[in-house]
Amino acid sequence: MANVTAATEAGRTPALRRRPGPGREAIYAYLTLLPVLLVVAAFSLYPILYAAYLSLHKELLTDPGDHHFVGFGNYVDVFHSFYLVDSVTSTLVFVLMSVPAVMVFGLLVALLLNQAFAGAGILRVAVLLPWALPPVVSGIIWRWILNDDYGVLNSILRQLSIVHYAIPWLSNPQLARVALVFAQVWHEGPLAAIFLLAGLRAIPAETYGAARVDGAGWWAIFRHITLPLLRAPLLLVLIYETIVAAVTFDLVYIMTGGGPANATALVSWFAYTEVFKFVNLGNGSALAFLIAAALLVIILGYLRALRVESNR
Amino acid sequence: MKDLENLTAELAGGRLSRREFVQRVVGLGLSGTAAFALMEACGQGSQSSGSIQLSFVTWSYGVSTIQDNIKKFQSSHKNVQIQFQDFAWTNYHDTMVARFTGKTPTDICYSSDHWLSEWAAARWITPLSSGFSDLTSYKSDYFPYVLQGMTYQGKLYGIPYYADTWAFLYNQDHLQRAGISTPPQTWEELTQQALEIKSKGIANYPVLLLFSQSDPGSIEVWESMVFSRQDGHLFDDNLNPVFNRAGSAAAKVIDWIRDAMNNARIMDPASLTSEEIPVVKAMASGAHTFTILETYNQAELNKSGSGPFAGKFKMAPMPGETHNTVGYVRFYAVTDQLTRRPPDVQKAADQFLQYFGGKVNGTFSPVVVRWAVENGLGFGWKSLWDDQQVRTAFSQWGDPDMLRRNQELARIKEGLTKYFPDWDVFTRAELQKAYLGQTSTQAALDAMAEKWKSLKQGNS
Repeated sequence: MANVTAATEAGRTPALRRRPGPGREAIYAYLTLLPVLLVVAAFSLYPILYAAYLSLHKELLTDPGDHHFVGFGNYVDVFHSFYLVDSVTSTLVFVLMSVPAVMVFGLLVALLLNQAFAGAGILRVAVLLPWALPPVVSGIIWRWILNDDYGVLNSILRQLSIVHYAIPWLSNPQLARVALVFAQVWHEGPLAAIFLLAGLRAIPAETYGAARVDGAGWWAIFRHITLPLLRAPLLLVLIYETIVAAVTFDLVYIMTGGGPANATALVSWFAYTEVFKFVNLGNGSALAFLIAAALLVIILGYLRALRVESNR
Repeated sequence: MKDLENLTAELAGGRLSRREFVQRVVGLGLSGTAAFALMEACGQGSQSSGSIQLSFVTWSYGVSTIQDNIKKFQSSHKNVQIQFQDFAWTNYHDTMVARFTGKTPTDICYSSDHWLSEWAAARWITPLSSGFSDLTSYKSDYFPYVLQGMTYQGKLYGIPYYADTWAFLYNQDHLQRAGISTPPQTWEELTQQALEIKSKGIANYPVLLLFSQSDPGSIEVWESMVFSRQDGHLFDDNLNPVFNRAGSAAAKVIDWIRDAMNNARIMDPASLTSEEIPVVKAMASGAHTFTILETYNQAELNKSGSGPFAGKFKMAPMPGETHNTVGYVRFYAVTDQLTRRPPDVQKAADQFLQYFGGKVNGTFSPVVVRWAVENGLGFGWKSLWDDQQVRTAFSQWGDPDMLRRNQELARIKEGLTKYFPDWDVFTRAELQKAYLGQTSTQAALDAMAEKWKSLKQGNS
């Protein structure tokens, strides 16, 4: 250790001292990175640039001869569209309902799995299963469970004489929104739980021991030790789940198709609708960029909060 | 040399594989390179006799029947190989949009009157007028709605795969138990009968309709209900909306649905999320009495083993003053890509279309008859009703005369333009808002009219 420090101080570590330039090593480094950069460019950069091009041109597939430059006309169209206000509102409601629910669910499960009890290992694996299912499969499962006529949930409620008639879980706009949130929590909660469990495991046991010696109860320990030390993983989960919720499409597509009466038609649903139903690639791309921009603002806000947190 | 000629002839005739050809040419003492060169030299021949490949895309209905039909076609056309792919009906339109946009090779595909304007305007499919003259000669034998459903700007774009109508179906057992002897003739009568059935505890919600926002059929059910009423039109001859006029048939339909769902409580609220298959299953279980479905579902409901009420499902004319309903046609369409392929490939496509949707040696092709007899699919041909085999098959689950009458009463959907899909998506949600009472009937119809006008103006 002393030798390494001495060598560094004496300037004998070329990699640290040498300024970047067109030397052989730099060229080698760029060449090594090139294949990866090409792959990234082909699969990320090109589609993004092409989408940007589409968003600035008239690209209505039923008008194949006309692809003129329209500037921000497609963006203006999206802002004036019949769906924007309602779908953004629905998306905000969905995010505000599902993200906290996922975090609370994840935290409770993580706290449970952090305890030592028989079968905890099996439970840790089993709890991940809903997350391991593709969202489409989750959607199909929940759609069947919540089917008004022959769904399992209504059947159980009727057999237990809790209700006499089927509850229209997916046909009532308010219930459909709640059902969608429920399915989202069921699917996303396990991943949040695993993230937070990893965070819990990183908290030194001595900290809890010291708190107990000082006479702290479980609530005081949770409030003054667990939660503060979980802030970073909680923030990560918050960022991730916000992004996932804001662009949720699969569950909507399978469970409700945006209905009833557009109650579950999130903004990502209309990005799809613009492209595949209205065959308007220009408007669809413009809307996709607007969604991405909105998400970027949210993520930057979160990251700023995270940076403040890590600097404490 | 004679042996070599025989070998090349066998390759060209499709009786030898490329691998066998190379092996046997090498066996004659020629080099492998020479064998490959020979094979390439007769490449055009092998193209026309042994390896003409046609890409055929359908939605996932009767896939095993389609595969069997393809097998039979290939056995009589040994030079043609069909590359078959199928996609779920509910995703079919979107999948095809992606295929066409991505220029995925597709020669022949299923299409629908619903998408004809859009696909033709985008130049994804092409008229049959050039190179498919035999197929256009059948026009006079189609029911009017069938011909209209395959025609865009005066040109014919397909040959029917099947052509059906939306039919009013009821569970006769429920009616008998309620002491009702005849099915309802009007919508008001339907309300009375449903209330009677409900009051006797036979069905809590006697009416279940296919109104899912995600099912393209929902607009067809709604239009059927509009057509069945007096002055049941959505647009005038210049495609100006008339549905938002005071007292219009469309307004009456919405009011009836609102009342049936929210006041009389005879219509299941689950209708708003019900697609075709769930409606069929729910009807088969006996949970409901009345519905509107594609006619072929009567065959499905009455099929032995479909449920406790198999054989009890009857069809009646659509309630209302005119009894008109929506007729639709799903058809084999030829893609624009096919027009750029060699003539022998186009000729093979022509033969394929004749075999799958037309006539062979002057009589209906076995595929056309098979869909009707085995699956109960409606057909676009008037003269096929004279086929005794078809009548016998249809009479096992329905009334052939009633089925034919419904086809004669059927009208193509109104408003089928290239911007219809935009309006359709908007309208489905607006209708649901009205059904749920989130907005008034008139406000919903006015919003639909405004949307139509702006789309029409934007596309003028």
